[in-house]
Amino acid sequence: MVEGIRVLDPTIDANSQNSLLAIRPESLNGLTVGLLANGKKNSVEILQYVYEILKDDHGLGAVIKDNKGNASRPCPPDLLEKLANQCDVIITASGD
Amino acid sequence: MSSSPMSKTYSFSTLQQASEYFLEQGWTDGLPINLPTEHEVSKFMALSGQSNTDIIGIEPVKGREITIEKVAINSVMAGCKPEYFPIILTAVEALVESKFNLHGITASTMGAGILTLVTGSIAKEIGLNGGISLFGPGHQANATIGRALRLVVINCTGSRSGEIDKATLGHAGKYTWCITENEDFRPWPNTGEDRGFSKNANTVSVFAGLSPIQVSNHSSQNPENILRSFRDALFAAGPNQGEIVIIFCPEHVLSFKKAGWTKNQIRDFLYEMAVRTNDEWGFGSIPPGSRPTGSEVTHSALTPESFTLLVGGGAAGAFSCVIPLWSGGVGSQSVTKELI
Repeated sequence: MVEGIRVLDPTIDANSQNSLLAIRPESLNGLTVGLLANGKKNSVEILQYVYEILKDDHGLGAVIKDNKGNASRPCPPDLLEKLANQCDVIITASGD
Repeated sequence: MSSSPMSKTYSFSTLQQASEYFLEQGWTDGLPINLPTEHEVSKFMALSGQSNTDIIGIEPVKGREITIEKVAINSVMAGCKPEYFPIILTAVEALVESKFNLHGITASTMGAGILTLVTGSIAKEIGLNGGISLFGPGHQANATIGRALRLVVINCTGSRSGEIDKATLGHAGKYTWCITENEDFRPWPNTGEDRGFSKNANTVSVFAGLSPIQVSNHSSQNPENILRSFRDALFAAGPNQGEIVIIFCPEHVLSFKKAGWTKNQIRDFLYEMAVRTNDEWGFGSIPPGSRPTGSEVTHSALTPESFTLLVGGGAAGAFSCVIPLWSGGVGSQSVTKELI
């Protein structure tokens, strides 16, 4: 760009330092899965449906179900920590 | 105490190129902007007395630190005058309070806008309109303060249409929505006073407002009959509203004043009037969630105090409005702050 009119950037980048993706397992076989619903109507049903497909196709192991209760708020940290300690993988979903 | 800008700079050879770049980046609301040059932004920073690195608030869900400089840049873009800046900064402080749930209201399919209400002498000093054509157009302070807040939401929290902002419809108030009350006709304490601030305080309130529902009654001067006209609009909002805003036009307010009605009398009447069975709620406008059923009676509002009552609009015309708030006026609570 040619030097002339100088303007300032109005944006702020997302703080991604604390938002790293979890390491993906190579196989789901025998893993404990958490199903975290978001409080929306039908979110439990969607999760159950996804779980049954993954169980049949990939041999998922035990299941732990919970619900964060409020779709518009982040998951409470203590619930996240509990699921992280108990589960190998967690699936979350929204339904309406 | 201002200092050099911390934000990245971009250089262009023509105004047109710069303007188009901002539009292409999605950094505007779709309308052209004033270019945020260092010189223009410095006027806002100087008035704030703050440093370019100072933080006005942290968006609580995504953790984005919103600096005063970024708010100044977006205020310039919106077309604000520097003297509006304290209102905008106060509003941003209010927006990032956890109970307002800014992420929820700006991401949700429900499509709320940010209704900003200014009370106190500052409103008149900067030319905020509370009268004719309350929601615009034509009033720079109203138009640009509301727009600045929308640009802050877009650029500082990333709630851009189609990205984080997933509104099904949204409404025109998402471009800009800042008002004050019509002081020539207000017969009762303002919202700042209702919320514990002194009579002379300048305050800024933010509400997660859905599209207004206009209510017309040109036939009645009796308070009860006027208020009965609001029944259908309150039903459209849904049951158990935690908070709901009503703007009464001067013609309706003059009838309340003539009859000596207080805000609390109006609140009590509205609360008792707007009730119906759950079966009836279930056949009306149904908010997200389960369909109500049964013969039990439910009020439109959780309590009489759920109603925020304002006076606004032109002196002619018996048109008031109900403004439902996002998620039943429960998922986001309005915030009022004294001017910085």
